This record gives sequence, structure tokens and C-alpha cells, in this order.
Amino acid sequence: MGIQILLHLTVMLVLAPLLFGIIGKTKALFAGRWGAPLFQPYYDIIKFFKKGNVYSTTTTWIFQVAPLVYLATILVSSLLIPFGGLKAPVYFWGDFILFIYISGLSRYFIIIGALDTGSSFEGMGASREATFSCLAEIVLALDFIILAILSKQLILSEMVGGTILSSWPLFGPVLLLVGLSYFLVLLVESARIPIDDPTTHLELTMIHEVMFLDHSGWDLACVSYASMMKFFVLGSLFVNILIPFHNLSAILQTVVFGVGMIGLAIIVGIVESCIARLRLNRIPELIIGAFVLALVGLLIILIKGV
Amino acid sequence: MWLELVLILIIFLGILILGNNRLGSMIQLFALQSLLLSITPLLIQPGLHAGIITIVTILLKVVFMPTLLFWAIRHVSMRWEVYPLIGYGKTLILCGLLMAIAFLISSKLDLPDKSTSYLLVPSAFSIVIIGFLLLVSRFKAITQVIGYLVMENGIFLFALLLLEKTPLLVEIGILLDIFVGALVMGIVVNNINQEFGSASTINLTNLRD
Amino acid sequence: MNFFLYSLAFLVFSVFLMLFSARLKKITSGIFLCSLIVGSVLAIISAIKVLVNQTSLDYHAALRMPIGEFYLGLDALSAFFVFTISVLFLMSGIYGYFYLQDCEKKNLNAHYSIYNLCLVFLLILVTAKNAVLFLIAWEMVTVCAYFMIIFYDQQKVVRKAGYLYLIAAHTGTFCLFIMFLLMQHNTVLSGGQAGSMNFDQMLLTPFSLPLAGLIFVLAILGFGVKTGFMPMHIWLPHAHPVAPSHVSAILSGVIIKIGIYGLLRIILIIKDFPQWCAVLLLFIGMISGVGGVLYALGQHEIKKLLAYHSIENIGIITLGLGIGLWGQINQNEMVALLGYAGALLHVFNHAVFKGLLFLSAGSVIKATHTGEMDKLGGLLKYLPWTGHLFLIGAVSICGLPLFNGFISEWLVYRALFENMFQFKINAIVFCSLAIIALSLIGGLAIACFAKAFGAIFLGNSRCLDNKQLKENSLFIAPMIVLGGICLWIGLFPKTMVSFVLRAASVVSAVNLSPIKQSAIISPLITMGFVLALLILTIVILGLLKKISMNFSCTKKAQTWGCGYSLPTSRMQYTASSFAEPILRIFRNILGFTVKGNKPSGYFPKEERISAHVVEVSEEFIFKPIFQGIQFLASKLKIIQVGFVQLYLLYIIAFLLLLLIWKIV
Repeated sequence: MGIQILLHLTVMLVLAPLLFGIIGKTKALFAGRWGAPLFQPYYDIIKFFKKGNVYSTTTTWIFQVAPLVYLATILVSSLLIPFGGLKAPVYFWGDFILFIYISGLSRYFIIIGALDTGSSFEGMGASREATFSCLAEIVLALDFIILAILSKQLILSEMVGGTILSSWPLFGPVLLLVGLSYFLVLLVESARIPIDDPTTHLELTMIHEVMFLDHSGWDLACVSYASMMKFFVLGSLFVNILIPFHNLSAILQTVVFGVGMIGLAIIVGIVESCIARLRLNRIPELIIGAFVLALVGLLIILIKGV
Repeated sequence: MWLELVLILIIFLGILILGNNRLGSMIQLFALQSLLLSITPLLIQPGLHAGIITIVTILLKVVFMPTLLFWAIRHVSMRWEVYPLIGYGKTLILCGLLMAIAFLISSKLDLPDKSTSYLLVPSAFSIVIIGFLLLVSRFKAITQVIGYLVMENGIFLFALLLLEKTPLLVEIGILLDIFVGALVMGIVVNNINQEFGSASTINLTNLRD
Repeated sequence: MNFFLYSLAFLVFSVFLMLFSARLKKITSGIFLCSLIVGSVLAIISAIKVLVNQTSLDYHAALRMPIGEFYLGLDALSAFFVFTISVLFLMSGIYGYFYLQDCEKKNLNAHYSIYNLCLVFLLILVTAKNAVLFLIAWEMVTVCAYFMIIFYDQQKVVRKAGYLYLIAAHTGTFCLFIMFLLMQHNTVLSGGQAGSMNFDQMLLTPFSLPLAGLIFVLAILGFGVKTGFMPMHIWLPHAHPVAPSHVSAILSGVIIKIGIYGLLRIILIIKDFPQWCAVLLLFIGMISGVGGVLYALGQHEIKKLLAYHSIENIGIITLGLGIGLWGQINQNEMVALLGYAGALLHVFNHAVFKGLLFLSAGSVIKATHTGEMDKLGGLLKYLPWTGHLFLIGAVSICGLPLFNGFISEWLVYRALFENMFQFKINAIVFCSLAIIALSLIGGLAIACFAKAFGAIFLGNSRCLDNKQLKENSLFIAPMIVLGGICLWIGLFPKTMVSFVLRAASVVSAVNLSPIKQSAIISPLITMGFVLALLILTIVILGLLKKISMNFSCTKKAQTWGCGYSLPTSRMQYTASSFAEPILRIFRNILGFTVKGNKPSGYFPKEERISAHVVEVSEEFIFKPIFQGIQFLASKLKIIQVGFVQLYLLYIIAFLLLLLIWKIV
């Protein structure tokens, strides 16, 4: 099991920044530029790791620990999700509840880490993060309800795994709706464009990034690496739900999974190029829309029966 | 399964229309919805009858009406539905609630033909509800027209239940009805705009005693 | 059982002793500390013995009371509550002993003896096997709690809050009287021993479904007022903040839970309920949970915020009860076990972390003399123990992994999800509503405690001079124990979960087979492994960071002001502004209003804004009712003339009326 865990973590640690590279490249191509190299996120992270830290005199140890907790929670929660041929190394009955709540833990720590600086900007970002992700959590819960009913399982890797395959012909529309609403949750949680703009820091409209204004060096590297891996984890869940590849051979599964992830990155890039960032007060409406979509999925299950 | 997927996409587009505040993209979404809608007869019962309906629907709802509406918003230079009567979030929540009720009712309804798809009646209901919500919650005349058209899309779905039983002439007649309706609306929008300098139906409240 | 009776006897003896030795303050407080420790440790031992051996013990006293008998019984359910009560009473008692040291002018002896008396009657309450004894203990607990709430009785607010509490509690008791009379009536009808109010007798008699429903509604009303179910909670946010902190801790941790105990006891006695009872409980849970946490977000005062969080946690407990009852009604044994176990474990967990939070709030208030969050800030550096223990409590109460709140929420979640597997439309509808409510509660609680912890302990001080603050280290010991319990249950939940499963199997009358037990506990052990992995990862990352920091330079600087040259601590985000976006989203439910104007013009003058949340049920449900009662009562004043002679006439007329009614 130890080897499986290490393999799982290595795959994610190595590949996660690549997705951001693909997103960046897609956006650049859409804008008619050649853009930064595909491996730019790797260079960024390495650069951050090399830099020294600057700590505000206001801060306490919480500010220093919060990025580590953020990174660690993402690493641990990735162990619950299969990456193509790599099965989830750790699973137990009811582990998806841990998956939701462990992201709550990381959120709690980055919020109090942001409040620790005493800066009004970071407080603003923390407040918005708390607001929007608590709404997104509801949609996520509803998606998991549907998946649990369809698969009759409470194990995350099983809920998005083999049993989904048999429910595609019968419940294709439901899974499509779950996928759509989950995609919106993914955008909210990983702070992508219609909700939040990850490329700028100083705009007053920022949510996620503004919480890390005071982070530098190691901490900034942890935070940006963790954000990339969060996208990878959430994205792999999305690919697992939407692409029924679970009865292929392990190698083929991995290939399909990889293609799916790249496809997801390109889709996100296209969405970011085509859609402008929403005004802040429209974001709850977007999340409510995602909720209604998932609700329709649940209603279909109700009238059709399992 | 394809029919169900299309129906789901139609509902999805309906929700998008309901949550949108830009008139232009609302019209585009409506056109897309109508396009998907016009395929449904072919999916249910491929044949000449369905083919004719599909072609007529595409002509009217995908080509003609969006063009008319686009012309109208260009003419009165409106682009945003700024202050809706009921907020977007609230309309979406209402929509979810009403759809839940509609789904639960429609599973209890005793309809002549359930064999086409379990999803047809509930989604028809939902589209009607979405259209109705658009009509109730927005001020701009164009949005009202779109709401009316979306609602009609839902009725169209209902009519698909009786696809074999209705003569072609009746359906064409219904479509013509809408055509005339939309035309009248277009003219009304234009006239409201000329009269009041803006195309908000709020101005119509002045017409009472 | 012997241990338990010794503990009761010891505590009663100490109460008298303290009353008689009122002059000798030193001795009295010594007696208080000793008797409390001995008494509650004895009670804890007796409870653990029952929970481990899975036996139940009874005690009939020889003495006959006027209508009931002194009949105590210690089954797993009672033992679990005895355990919870004793643990929290012990910890907050020790804290209270140090906390009240500087209140020289007050009559501390009375307070101490009432504290012990309250513990005695709580212990009797949760072990009573006779309805009359139960009601006597219930009333005594109410009265004792009243005297503890009004400790600072020179303030008008305190007296008013105590009064409100007393009225609310008695309204509830009124329903309980009717409920127990109905139950006894049914027992008599079905051939039970006439006049017996023993729970054993009631347990043997069958209840018809409509009667069970009626009794259930009365129980919800009667117990719910004390417990703080959402529309009936109005006394709670007034009484908690005004009491001394250790009293708030036991009020919130234990005294409101005896309503939950009462409900469980009624469920145990009657067993068969109509389906809507479970639905009713689920809805009460959802409303209390979501409503409680939303109102908590709108508060500016730390203890009031914690008081509203009690309502939220009661909501989670009630969700567990509801789903357990649902499983029990539909013969789904696993769901019943999981639901009740989740609810019971949350009872204990809430007692622990809410106790911890109130105690640390108390030491903040003791140090700074204010509980207004918008005035505090940056206390973590100056009150380090308090701050870190508050953080532990906050993480626990949000139900986040590593600490105990997550374990009980996990059990409730699992019960809700497993209930959906038997495909029934109503089960899916209600369970998914409950799950959505629970996850919303989770998210909002995170926001709320990030706000509380951030505003009080992080950043810079907003008004006070922090450097002069001192932490009283004597307070800390009981808080460390409570924090330790939080972490222990969070990482090694096996012992406590097996305890609550025993209690749950008593409530639901489900035989607890080893297969079921391991099906519930073994995922928790794997989860413990994952959490250990999480801690390990954090430690490794920390070490890596430490090593790499040796190679690069670390600088100290000011927080970056984003271009503002003179950022002051008053420019920080306040607790109110942190909560504002969420409150704005839910403004229609909360009656959230912002008063004041935005500054305008190039050289704006001073402006003030303030944000408030209106308590909807108080404002729109209870106020009209009370005003109506007042109106009617004022009309009745006509007969109040003032002549004593006339009043005597009324009495005689009424007696005559009764006589005539009896004859006819």
C-alpha cells in the first residue's frame, strides 16, 4: 500500500502543473498569441521554492502553517480518487464525506491564515471564499447524493468507478446533469474565470488569490502548487464521472484518463477565453443554477426509480 | 436515450435563459433550444410527418424569430435586462421548486401515451414553467416575448405526445399562430419604444385609469 | 450502582455542608472543589462500568414519596448521559472555582451549593425511572439553572434574561405534565397497575399510533423549549451570554441536552410512532441547524454567537434523532443505530467542545472585559493558551476532521445516506434535504468560526492595548482536558463510538451484533489511518520547510498595505464585514439590515454604519402572542377592584360553582 500511495502522489505532483500549462496555452492561442511555454507553471513553482520568505510582524504561526495544511489536505484527499488505471490506494465506507470535510479543513486554515495578516484585502478575500465555497459545498453534496443513489455505494472510488458504467445507458441524462453541475463546482472551487480570475492579485473583485497577498517564497510555492493539485483532484473526479472507461485494461484506462484530463484543461481554457468574469453578486446565482441542474438530475431518478 | 439527452439539454438551455441578463445571448440560447426541440419529432418517430414539422419549426423558430428579435433589439438598442422584478437567484430557486413539483405531479398524471419517454411530460412542464417565470419576473418587452416563446416550446413538447394523432394541418396552424403572435409582439415592442423612449413593460402600467 | 448512589449522597451532603459553613469562605470553597471532584468521578466510574459491562442497574429506595417512588435505574442510555454530565460539570466546576475568585462581594457559597445541587438533580433526572421523580428533578434543574444564570443579578439585563428563561422552561413543563398524564392514562386503560407512574409499566403497555403521535408532539413542545428547537429557542440567546462563563458552558453543554434525553426516553418507552414524527424531527433539525448558524453569523458578541451555535448543534443532534427514528419505524436497524449513535455522540461532543469554547470565551472576557468581537483582535500572541484551545474548539465545532465533531457528523451523514438505499421516494426526498441542510450547516459553521477566531485572536487589536493583558493560567487546566478529549475522539473514536452504539441499541431496541458493530467502527479505524497520514504529511512538509529555510533568508516586515502608506489596525476586516456577504445572501430569512450611509464626495465626513440581524421568531411569532395575552389580561383587570372583601366573594362564588358542578 505504501508504494501505491507514493505512486499516486508522484503522478499528481508531477502532472498537476502541466494542466495549468495547457490552460494557459489554450488561452494564449485563443487570444492569438503564442503564449508562455507549456512548462511555465513548473518554472514558477521552482522559482518560488528558491526564494526567501518575508513574514509580517502581525502574523503568528497560523500564517506559516496554513499553506502546509492546504497542501497536505490536497495530497491526502487525492488518495481517495482513482487516476485512470491507478486505483485509489485508500478507501473506506463513507470516505467521500471525509473528502468534502477535509477540503473544509483546508479552507478553514487558509481563511484564518489570511485573517492572520490583519490586512483588509485578505480579509475581504477570506470572507468571499467562505461565502462562495459554502454555497458550492451544497451542490457538491447534491451531486454526491445522486452518485450514491445510482451506485448504492458510499466509497468515493466506487461511486465514480465501475458502477457508473452500468448506469450510463439508463441514467445518461442524470450523469450529464451531474457532470454539468459538478463542472461549475469545479470552476468555483478551483477559482477559475467566470467566478474568479487567478491571474491578477490586486483587483478588489478577487476571491481566492487575494488571500495569498502576503505569502512569499516557500509558502507561496505551497499555495500555488496546492491550487494546481486541487484542480487536478477535482478534475480527475470530473473525468471519472463523465467518461465511462472503467472496464478497459489498466493501460488503456490510464490513456483515456490522461486524454480526458487534457481535454478538461482545454475546455476550461476555452471557457476562460470566451466568458468574462462574472460580477460578484452574480456568482451565487451561478451556483444556484448548478444546484437546479443537479436537482433536475435527482428528480429524474425520483420519477424513474433505480 | 438520445431523446432523453436532448430533453435534458433543452431544460439546461431553459435554465441558462432564465439566469441570463443579456438579451442577445438569451435570443441565441433560445434559437439553440428551438433547434434541439425541432429534432425531437424525428427522434420519437422518424418519418415524413415528423420531417415536415422539423423543417417548419427550424424555419420559424430557429431562423425567423431570432432574426426578428435581433432586429428588434438592434432597433430599440436594448442589451441588458437590468432590474428584474424578481432577482435572478430567486427566480432560479423558484424554478427549482416549481420543477420539483412538476416532476412529482407528472409522474402521477394519467396520460394517454407514456411509451415515448418518461421524461417528455416533466420536461415539457419544466419548460412551460421556465417560460412562465420569464414572463412573470422580467420587465423588458423582449424578455417577455422570449418567455412567451419558451413557454410555447414547452407546449410543443406536450404536443409531441400526440404526434401521430394530430393532423399536420393543425400543427402548422399552431405554428402559424405563434408566428403571428411574435410578429405582433415585435410591433408592440417597437411602438412601446417609440412612445416611451424605452421598451420596458412598466410603462404599460400608465395605461390604466 | 453503589458508586452512583455514593456520588449522589456525597454531593447532597456537600450541599448541606456548604450551606451551613457559609461564614467560612475558605473552607466552603475547599469543600466545593473536593466534593465536586469526588462526586463526579464516582458518577463517571459508575457510568463507565455500566457502559463497559452492558448491564443495567436499578435502585428502589425504601422511602415512599407522596405520589411516586424514588426509583432510579442506570441503563446504557442513562449511563451515557451521566458520563456526559459529570465530565462537563467537573471541568467547568473547577474552572468556575478559579473564575469566581475575584467576585468577593458575591455570596459564592450559595452559588457553589446550587451548582452541586444542580448536578445532583441532573443525575437524578437522567436516571429517574418514575415520571413524578423525573418531573420533580426537571423542575429542580430549571430552578437551579435559573439561580445560576442570575449570578450577576445587579444588572437589569441579567434579571430579564433569567425571567425569560423561567417562563419558557415552565411553559415547556406544562406540556410535559399533560404528556405524562396521557401516558399514565394509557397504562391504566391497558390494565396496568393503577396510579403507577413507573417507566417500566409504561414500557410494557402498547400505545396506539395516534396517541403516540399526540404524545410525541407534546414531548417536542415540552422538551423542545428547554432544548432550544428553532422557533421555541428565544430564551437561549438571552440567557447564555449573561451567565458566568462556566455556567454558560453547562447550560449549553448539558442542561439543554436533557431535552434530548427526554425525547430519547419517550422514544424508548413508546417504540411505535407514525412516520410523520420522524419527518417532523428532521424538519426541526434542519430549521434549527441552518437557522442557528445563520443567526450566529449575524452576532457581534462572542457568547451570543456561541449561544446560537448551541441551537445549530441541537439541530444536528435532532437530524440524527430523526433519521434514527425513521430507521426504527421502517425496521432498518443499521440506519436506526447509526442515527441514534450519531446524535448521542454529538451530544457528548457538543458538551465537550462547546464547554471548551465557552470557557475560553470566558477567559477572553476576563482578560479584556469585553466580548464584542469588533473591539478585540490579535489576542493569540497575548493569550496563547486560550487562543489555541479556542482554535481546537472552533475546528471541532465546525465538524472538521482530526477532531471529534467530524466523527458524530460522519455517523449522521452515513445514516442519512444509507437510508436512501432502500429506494423510497419520500426517504430520498427528506434525506437529501437533510443532507443538503447538513452540508450547508458545515459550510456556514466554517465561515462563522473563521470569523470568530479571526476577529478575536488574529490580526491586530482594534481598540484595546493588548500588551497589558495577562492570561490566568489557573483557568487553563480544565480547558486542556476538554481540548484533549476533542482530539482523542477525533483520532481514536473507537471507544466512544462503541459506548454510544450500546446506548443507541438500548434506545432502538436493536440487538447490537458484532457484525453491525464492526461495520460501523471499521471504516472509522481506516479513517483514523488517513488522518494519521494527514498529520504525518503536515509534519513532513513542516520539516522540509524548516530545512529549506536554512538555505534562504527570512525577513520580517509589515503586512503589505497594498499601496496604502499608513495602514492602521482599524482598517482591518471586522467580524461584521466578514459575515456580511453571507448575511446579504440570506437577508430575507434573517431580517438583515444595514443602517447608516456610505461616505460620499471627495472629502467625506464621518459616517457610521451598523449591521443587525432581527430575530424573526421573537419579533413576528412571540411578540404578537405576548401582546395578545397582555391585551386580554388588561381587559380582565375589570374584576381587579382592590377590595379584599370582593376577592373573598370571588373565592366563595367559585367554590359554590364547583360544588354545584360536582352535584349536577
